[in-house]
Amino acid sequence: MFRYTKLTGLREFLFWIAALVFLLPFYFLVTTSLKSDREVITSSTLAPPTAPDFGNFLKVLTATGNSNVVMGLVNSIIITAGSIVLLVLLGSLTGYVIARSTRRWSRVVYYLFLVAIVLPTQLGTVPLYIGARALGLTGSAWGMIILYTGMLLPLAIFLYAGFFRGLGTEYEEAATIDGASRTQIFFRIVLPLMSPATGTVAILAGLIVWNDFFTSLIFLGGSANQTLPVAMYYYIGSLVSAWNQIFAIVIVSMIPILAFYLFAQKRFIQGFAGGLKG
Amino acid sequence: MAPQRVTRIAGLLALPVTAALVLSGCSGSGSGDSGGDAESFTFTFATSNNLESPYETLAKEYMAANPGVTITSNPTPNDKYGETIRTQLQAGNASDVIITAPGAGDARGLIPLAQAGFFEPLGDTATSLVPTGSDTLFEIDGKTYGQPLDFTIGAVVASMGTAGMNGITSWPTTMDDFYAECGKLAGDGKSMLALAGAAAPNAGLTAQGIAATRVYASDPNFNTERAEGKTTFAQSKGWADTLQTIIDLKDKGCFQAGAEGGGFDAITNGLAQGTSVGSFIPSGSAVEIAAAAPAEADFKVQPFPPAAGGKPFVLASSNYAASINAKSQKKDAAKKFLDWLATPDAQEKFYEASGLLPISEYKNLDLSNTIYSEVVDDISNGSYTTLPSNVWPNPAVYDALSTGVQGLLTGQSSIDQVLQNMDAAWGN
Amino acid sequence: MSTTFRAGEVAATETERVVLPRRGGRRRQAPAPRRKGLLKFGYWWWALPGILFVIGIHYVATSVGGFFAFTNWTGIGAFELIGLDNFTRIFQDPTKIGALWNTLFLAFGSVILSNILGLGIALGLNRGLKSRYILRTLFFMPVVLSPLATSYIWKFIFDFNGPLNLVLRGIGLDSMARAWIADPTWAIWTILVVLVWQNIGFSMVIYMAGLAAVPVEIEEAAAIDGANLWQRFWHVTLPSIRPAVAIATTLGLVNGLRVFDQIMALTGGGPAAATETLATQVYKQSFALGNFGYGAALALLLTLIILVFAVIQQRVTADRSEEN
Repeated sequence: MFRYTKLTGLREFLFWIAALVFLLPFYFLVTTSLKSDREVITSSTLAPPTAPDFGNFLKVLTATGNSNVVMGLVNSIIITAGSIVLLVLLGSLTGYVIARSTRRWSRVVYYLFLVAIVLPTQLGTVPLYIGARALGLTGSAWGMIILYTGMLLPLAIFLYAGFFRGLGTEYEEAATIDGASRTQIFFRIVLPLMSPATGTVAILAGLIVWNDFFTSLIFLGGSANQTLPVAMYYYIGSLVSAWNQIFAIVIVSMIPILAFYLFAQKRFIQGFAGGLKG
Repeated sequence: MAPQRVTRIAGLLALPVTAALVLSGCSGSGSGDSGGDAESFTFTFATSNNLESPYETLAKEYMAANPGVTITSNPTPNDKYGETIRTQLQAGNASDVIITAPGAGDARGLIPLAQAGFFEPLGDTATSLVPTGSDTLFEIDGKTYGQPLDFTIGAVVASMGTAGMNGITSWPTTMDDFYAECGKLAGDGKSMLALAGAAAPNAGLTAQGIAATRVYASDPNFNTERAEGKTTFAQSKGWADTLQTIIDLKDKGCFQAGAEGGGFDAITNGLAQGTSVGSFIPSGSAVEIAAAAPAEADFKVQPFPPAAGGKPFVLASSNYAASINAKSQKKDAAKKFLDWLATPDAQEKFYEASGLLPISEYKNLDLSNTIYSEVVDDISNGSYTTLPSNVWPNPAVYDALSTGVQGLLTGQSSIDQVLQNMDAAWGN
Repeated sequence: MSTTFRAGEVAATETERVVLPRRGGRRRQAPAPRRKGLLKFGYWWWALPGILFVIGIHYVATSVGGFFAFTNWTGIGAFELIGLDNFTRIFQDPTKIGALWNTLFLAFGSVILSNILGLGIALGLNRGLKSRYILRTLFFMPVVLSPLATSYIWKFIFDFNGPLNLVLRGIGLDSMARAWIADPTWAIWTILVVLVWQNIGFSMVIYMAGLAAVPVEIEEAAAIDGANLWQRFWHVTLPSIRPAVAIATTLGLVNGLRVFDQIMALTGGGPAAATETLATQVYKQSFALGNFGYGAALALLLTLIILVFAVIQQRVTADRSEEN
């Protein structure tokens, strides 16, 4: 079969070099964030800090006003979690019905969602913005949750519909014979079965919502509910190239998502690559 | 996948969701909400560096004088200021007190924003501070929407200490002298001027500072004539000269290396560390930077040399105003703050912190020992004009000028193109 | 949203399952038995909230936006219908044409580069490397990060006195060191670098999944028949991963056309509008300058371009799949 030759070993070594070069930006990120204000101006950008200074991180975590990073973090968590819950709920219900129905309307609706995935949001942003403003939803966490849910629902429905189509109806039929109502069937039997799809939806949609900047900037910028990317944007804007502080906040903003990624990397990659294997 | 996985996910999500429900019920509509205290409010102003802004100093003074009041400051980058406050105002998320510019010619100009209903009308204290002849820049239908804060002189802020250390004993008064000094400094890896080419406000201010001598010295009514359609930017030899001067300054090494890409930090660091002698920055910034520079820096506001045969001319006007967000929940607290800003005591403090001349008292001050000593005569004999962008009809004209300057520095645009763009932006 | 780069990835796989002709199937199980006629499980009205949401937030909003593209609305107060004026303005303004060009350049550039490099890494990691999973994790890491955050790191690297220029000066290439981000010619390339860097991992995992499904026997058979490395790749491997190529390029293209975060963080659209794209212009016109009508016209143009390319992609991949 496959033999591990010297050539393979060389290939492995070269790829490790490639990976390290590829991740070089992280070296700059970490070393610069640990430099003091003085050192960041005077020392070479390539050199590591002489004595690590964690003061930058302290400043980042205690920033106030529009630059309040901790508040941004909390808001991001709330909005992302809220969106995921709503997406899972509505997406699974809709996807299930579409997948289980064979009538004409379900195919039409299916294509409706397919097109909606590709349709860029830029054109709808301004009217949505005006509508949200009229309803007083700009600057509110609920408004953003509703907005994100609406934006990502086609994707969630798509994933669920696809999943359900591949799921045989044996369990549901057995439950019907046992006399369960349709609602019971869905919540007792189907819900647990759809956890792979739920995992994928949670990861993909969660990542998009967590990293979103443009929509959050327009709807929440300056308010008490602004998310982490916006807080970071304002904070860095007020820093005017104090790279050590800028990178401190960049690191702080990256930690949650990187921690989650390293914890669940397999699921992340599988979700992306489309293989819903276990 | 087992049901345990579902429960785990559900469990993980349940807590934040509950928190969301609870918090969104409790939280306010988010108009820059700074807490339940009725006396506390939020304050947005522009910043070009990391030094303590004079507005921050004023906020601290106010808080010291009024215990129980908390002002949350939101320093906002100068080169994105207009777009940031507009975005926030439109969504209803802006701070309670916002620093704006008079007129309509800048993205942060208060007139269009007031017309859109974003600002609260202010009282008589504010109206009394509006300089005579500038009503249209601060008021609509007799209601004032911005309280003037300053009298700013716009010319070159130069460190005479740095100049002295490089063999420049007196400020050049002709362009030939100026270019000669540029050449000497460039040879040593230094520059006469620091320019933040990538920052629109500085590119624009540099052009306006030079235009004072090339356009308004001989034709002080240019703006009115342009508004009446009697002339255009493209036809103006003065404006063409101004832009040509910028190109000449670059070619003769008067700007620092990499000026076209420079940010505000190039100015702050250049002036504080003595690698550049001067820069076209608001006189107020000089005091901020002086705090970061050694004492020998000795900053002075110097007039830019006029063209051959011309006379010195500077920019001088009130360029900063304080406005109150119409959607603010803290209008009373904000108004109290603005009233305090109008007091001579506060103006004195603002002058000390920023170097910007106090709006009402400046005529009474003896400026001979201050950074303004070199331009005192120009002010007293009227050799100055209002900052043009305050008076222009919309922000697109100033935007065309600023990006035009950047384009000239990088070679992307020609002088004719820039002037045509400015005319096109003026509209009819 | 500019981060929907990965959006619909799995969806597209499902797309194939449903939309593409069944005969192309290779790794598909038998389709689930369907009852004809009435809905057997669930209630039809369960789908109603979802449908209403999508119609409202996607279709209604987009149509309203499309309508405003023909007006001169400033976002406040009254407006008038001005027909195609906004569009003539777009095509007469050199900066808008430049923005259009930048949009296409960044989209195609990032797709081509990240796919070639991603495929290269996937191929390299594919067979037998002991640490392939760790390497895969490392190369994929930038994908999950916020585009805003990564842009700030690269802004530092490209700074006039940043690491890149220091290295160039250090190895004697002083003349090449420049203010990358402020250079009108090179600024757009810096954005391209950031885009590609962040997205290599994405195409890499798609190709790794695709390659993993290629049966080893076929390749070995080809090797026995005397095909060399390149021939094996071109005639055996590549056709097998056509679906993966289709997915990766479609998504890459659609999302590359919408890039926003990276440009705002790196150059802000400058120098002198050299790196503006349709997406950044929509933001500036609509929100910073208050020209909602004009901004909507730009957005409509962007939408049409994206739809056109998405349709072309669908056609091309459908054809290819039939060839198989």
